[in-house]
Amino acid sequence: MIEYVQSALLLISAFLIIVAAVGLLSLSKNTKNAVYARIHIVGVFDVACIIAMIGIGQYLLAGIYFILAPFTAHAIANAYWKKEDRENNLDLVTVEEDVDYNHPFIHPKDKMQVLESENSEKLKADDRFSVTTLEIDEGE
Amino acid sequence: MDILFISKFIVVIALIIMMLAALRASAYKSTSMGLLGSSVVVVAFAMVLLIGGDIYNLGFYKDISLALIFFGFIGTVAFAAVLGGNDE
Repeated sequence: MIEYVQSALLLISAFLIIVAAVGLLSLSKNTKNAVYARIHIVGVFDVACIIAMIGIGQYLLAGIYFILAPFTAHAIANAYWKKEDRENNLDLVTVEEDVDYNHPFIHPKDKMQVLESENSEKLKADDRFSVTTLEIDEGE
Repeated sequence: MDILFISKFIVVIALIIMMLAALRASAYKSTSMGLLGSSVVVVAFAMVLLIGGDIYNLGFYKDISLALIFFGFIGTVAFAAVLGGNDE
């Protein structure tokens, strides 16, 4: 009788493992949040492994892996979120630059944009010295 | 032939398929996918050793699989911690 229960557990785990393998490969590359979905699929594989461990009588190992597996999934998802997930993470999309406003030669972009805009105070002051070709009368 | 014996072999075949799928998945673009695939391969190999040790009554296979599961976990978490960087 115990043999049948063990083989049922092993067959269930084999079915879950094959479903996880097919799911891992068939997930489209263009799916949104595909990496998190794959981590989720690996969770199915972990549970299948735990069922197989119970099926072959390794209860302690099954308990240990039952505790360890979520830590692995969380660590991978956390690392992906922090450094690679540009889809959801605005911090990774915008790149911060160290701006030195007192540098004599390298001027920051926003400072130059203020100087070049039409309402710039400095540009208005420089209008006194500007000469356009329309104002030159060649007859004189 | 015993039904338990057959089902163990079926699990081994399923694990080999999963290892191949994980190898393919580890070749996807991001580094995290490589980490995920390698951790799956390690666990699947440990399971194959566990079942092999159970079929052929080899005790040290179980020790090796226990070590693989432990150190695979530690390696995965350590690599993920390095990949994630600091919280600052």
